[in-house]
Amino acid sequence: MRKLNHFSDLESFRQRLQEKRRNILSTIIIPNGTCCQASNSSAVIQAVLKEMAKQGADKNIHMHLTGCHGFCEQEPMILFEPGNIIYCRVNPEDAKEIVTKTLKNGEIIERLLYTDSVSGKKARTEAEIPFYRAQDRQLLQYNKWVDPRSIEDYISIGGYRALTKALDSISPKTVIEEIKSSGLRGRGGGGFPTGRKWAEARLAPGDEKYVICNADEGDPGAYMDRCLLEANPHLVIEGMMIGAWAVGAEHGYIYVRNEYPLAVQHARLAVKQARDIGLLGRNILGSSFSFDVDVARGGGAFVCGESTALMASLEGKVGEPRAKDIHTAREGLWNKPSVLNNVETWANVPSIILNGSGWFASKGTKGSKGTKIFALTGQVKNTGLVEIAMGTTLNDIIFNIGGGPKGRKAIKAVQTGGPSGGCLPVSRFGIPVDFDTLYETGSMMGSGGMVVMDEGTCMVDVAKYFLKFLQDESCGKCVPCRIGIDRMLEIVTDITEGRGTRQQLKLLEELAETVEETSLCGLGKTAPNSVLSTMRYFFDEYIAHVDEKRCPAGVCKKLINYNIIEEKCNGCGVCLKSCPHGAIKGKKKEAHVIDPQLCLRCGICVTECKFDAIAVG
Amino acid sequence: MIQQVTLMIDGAPVKAAKGSSVLDAALEHGICIPHLCHVPGLKDTGACRICIVENMKNGSSTITASCTLTVQEGMVIRTSTEKIQKLRRNIAELLVAQAPNSRAIQDIAVRCGVKEVRYPFRNDNCVQCGRCVRYCAEIWRANALGFVGRGKNRRVEFPFGIRPEFCKNCGSCILYCPMSVTPCGGPMKRGEERLCGKCESQTLMAPGVVGACVRCDLGKGFSCSRHMQ
Repeated sequence: MRKLNHFSDLESFRQRLQEKRRNILSTIIIPNGTCCQASNSSAVIQAVLKEMAKQGADKNIHMHLTGCHGFCEQEPMILFEPGNIIYCRVNPEDAKEIVTKTLKNGEIIERLLYTDSVSGKKARTEAEIPFYRAQDRQLLQYNKWVDPRSIEDYISIGGYRALTKALDSISPKTVIEEIKSSGLRGRGGGGFPTGRKWAEARLAPGDEKYVICNADEGDPGAYMDRCLLEANPHLVIEGMMIGAWAVGAEHGYIYVRNEYPLAVQHARLAVKQARDIGLLGRNILGSSFSFDVDVARGGGAFVCGESTALMASLEGKVGEPRAKDIHTAREGLWNKPSVLNNVETWANVPSIILNGSGWFASKGTKGSKGTKIFALTGQVKNTGLVEIAMGTTLNDIIFNIGGGPKGRKAIKAVQTGGPSGGCLPVSRFGIPVDFDTLYETGSMMGSGGMVVMDEGTCMVDVAKYFLKFLQDESCGKCVPCRIGIDRMLEIVTDITEGRGTRQQLKLLEELAETVEETSLCGLGKTAPNSVLSTMRYFFDEYIAHVDEKRCPAGVCKKLINYNIIEEKCNGCGVCLKSCPHGAIKGKKKEAHVIDPQLCLRCGICVTECKFDAIAVG
Repeated sequence: MIQQVTLMIDGAPVKAAKGSSVLDAALEHGICIPHLCHVPGLKDTGACRICIVENMKNGSSTITASCTLTVQEGMVIRTSTEKIQKLRRNIAELLVAQAPNSRAIQDIAVRCGVKEVRYPFRNDNCVQCGRCVRYCAEIWRANALGFVGRGKNRRVEFPFGIRPEFCKNCGSCILYCPMSVTPCGGPMKRGEERLCGKCESQTLMAPGVVGACVRCDLGKGFSCSRHMQ
């Protein structure tokens, strides 16, 4: 491809692309991100392609493979433009009908439309689906129009316009001022004001500076960074370029974990395409600005999401954090000033430059501006990526967008911010979601994971799960984190297995405080949050475990017993056959009995019993 | 001439060479900050967190390890507030519960005021202070030892588990290892671990009094860097 040598070259290239695209009359869009592929979207694509070729529909219809659109619950999906019609949970067998009816004749197949889980109504377009309607999709909206493997798609929807605007008419200093006044805060968890970080790096002395994109997302249940980098890598690269222009860096790194193969692949391809076209390299678009990006793969250590550990890993050393008394913006990668931002933070930059800081600051709350993507998972009807303006209440997110509880049990709590965050009870669902409010309630924004839990979840068990995760993922360098978390897990395990005492509860609290105050890095400092927040809001559950040796949710195996309710059991014998340990005895048509000595509390009988005759307690 | 900065440690104005650590500055002036992983002449990593201090700034304080904190003009440091003492005691308790079979660890526990151990003892052979690894790498440039693994499974090991040729058996690693000297009462068997606490009478210094360091025997036990110099 011919290299673009001037700003006007990019504009005329864009116009040519848009001209070409105007001739496309209808488009079929199939999301094909990692999550979509997990629900078999590749097979759907193959089937549709085959059918289109067979029926001769491949000539005048444009097929568009994009990244995930966020509604992971309903995948694989197919969208049709114009008309914005959405088909959900498509099977490869539906391909023939889709091509004959919808593509060729414009008929709508009712059966494939989305059915609202709350009202039971069918919805044809995105605007009619409550999951999308309640969101404010500033970043995710592009996913629909962009094939991540094509720089042309990105340019044709107006990509790299913010970069040319910055290079052409805004000085680096003004760029930083603009980011500062927009109120953008780091989306990776800490919420540090991005503008302040950039300003510090700009003023830091040093001949070489770096910008780094942190795509080492490791929180259980969070995947918005993966989705952004996978679906729209050029948006992230453009953000990094503007950042590099502002702080005076000539080199950038995208640190992405190797467990995200598609994100690695798309990021690499995007960098190559940008280099080929002249958007990365020396004297970009004829300006004095030179910049290049390398994609570095991480080995999947959770701690490498921490800034200093990430930089150590980039340098080729063991990914262990170091003391951060001097900010990485002054002494970061190879002791040079480095700006490290999360994928989502970088992705927010182009639109701020393009639309102005006032536009960005008009969304959100006093301390937190703009929109934020959350990964809504757990016991809600609609799971997926949710982008909302800061300040939306948890109630709105979980009940309006998420559609409320998935099963018959009521929602009890939400865990925000991954292993570093905390659990909030239903009584706190009225709070607006922003950095400061979440911090005050003892949780954290984190990178944006939101795991909804219902009455069937034991909060002590949740604390144990996160401690186990952190024990595995702690780098082991400092004593409070390595030994402290291990001891906390020891105590919580004692509690869930019925050996807990009141003294241990007190010790647990004191230890949590010690780990929080004295750990070396952010991972250790936030590690006790899951324990502290569950102790704060669900202390009664801890007490039940310790004093009564009872697990109210019926989760902790050592504290529960399965019993058959005589009145409800009609002796069908299903549980007897399904029990792998032979613990259930009884004659046909007579109430059965569970032998507590043989029962291993696997819970298979509960799922098998059609009469709810088995009680857990 | 070496540039100097003035900072306040526990209310006393202290002069220190620019670029040195708060821990070094304090020890030089006889202010006792107990420490474990710090060895003079080696790069500090801030791993043991025993040497934590409060760094007062604009009315609020941050808690950080003093060995990795570089002195700055006008800094205000507090080394033994009630909060620090409590946190230090908790960390020392974690350490002594993990590795009671060491005079150094027992002495640190005494120095930090550990009176009881509320966790079951574990009797590990290593507290991962990293003295051996850093000595081997920085003084001898041999890199014959390193950390392997992550979290609970992190341990000191030869590269690929085999003693390399460039290990000259110099013994520095053993010399600097805090685990190489057993408590005064002899090695503790599994199941018989206890908090030794015999040296309590030797805690001569009154906490919080600047310049009170008398190079106590307790410090010798945990190889306080005043004894190493």
